[in-house]
Amino acid sequence: MNATTTERTASGACLCGTVRFVARGVPEKFAACHCEMCRRWTGSALLDLDVPVENVEWSGEEHIRTFQSSDWAERAWCDRCGSNLWFRMTQDNEWSGSYGIPLGLFDDASGFEMSTEIFIDQKPDSFAYAGTGRAVLTRAECVAKFPALDDATSQGSDVT
Amino acid sequence: MTSPREITGRCLCGAVTVRATVTDPIVRACHCDMCRQHTSSMFMSLATDPGSERIEGPAKSYRSSDWAERGFCDVCGSTLWYGTTNDGARHLAAGLFEDAAGAPLKLEFFADLCPQGYALAGEHKRLSTKETLEAFGVSEDDDA
Repeated sequence: MNATTTERTASGACLCGTVRFVARGVPEKFAACHCEMCRRWTGSALLDLDVPVENVEWSGEEHIRTFQSSDWAERAWCDRCGSNLWFRMTQDNEWSGSYGIPLGLFDDASGFEMSTEIFIDQKPDSFAYAGTGRAVLTRAECVAKFPALDDATSQGSDVT
Repeated sequence: MTSPREITGRCLCGAVTVRATVTDPIVRACHCDMCRQHTSSMFMSLATDPGSERIEGPAKSYRSSDWAERGFCDVCGSTLWYGTTNDGARHLAAGLFEDAAGAPLKLEFFADLCPQGYALAGEHKRLSTKETLEAFGVSEDDDA
């Protein structure tokens, strides 16, 4: 989604080093998702870069586990260390065909720019990012683009 | 200071439930390389009342260094906690709780290791690598 003219080849690994990847066509921009699912999964927000599936070579696959987190998407992690490995559309739609690879997996996580924040109104105040000038979408704006999100992401109903 | 209250959180799939009591809780962010690799950005933890943490469900732990372990859900891979092995303390991920239990961000560790592409907003204490290691009484030669 964020392809630019300065795409690069980059490598990365999970915390324990068991799962590694090399990716071509890595964009310079990443997104932050504050939806309830990403919040619970990562502990704060998912910061990821979209890379076409065919451009990524994974190794250590025997330790990659996946979870179907909704009717349309899955999430993967390393079953040794628990590092988040990818978010991926499993349904055929305009966002499918790429891995959302966590920024933190990249060997060099600098030099990337946050271009978008989604589900901004679901973000706890303590998870706010500094700076301006990027695209910001509310939950309602995300649901308008992809109506199925309405059923799978709550508007916040936990008892705290 | 307010009185302690009980809070409940859960992982993405709901298989793991976490409970704790909090008293004027704060959120802390750690930008060390290990936390960044584990979570996509930084590990954000909620300061719960020490020893009050209860974890139920299929949680798995990875020993990430001589002194620490990290918990995650064995069903969905959600990040659950950062633990220190010498005292058994478990610092629960803030995102497991709705609105991060309403707790404000007060502290960043290894702030100088945060990649240039993002930064946390607000006025709060930001400890450098040197200051973080000093705060925990660790020598700079040790792995973070």
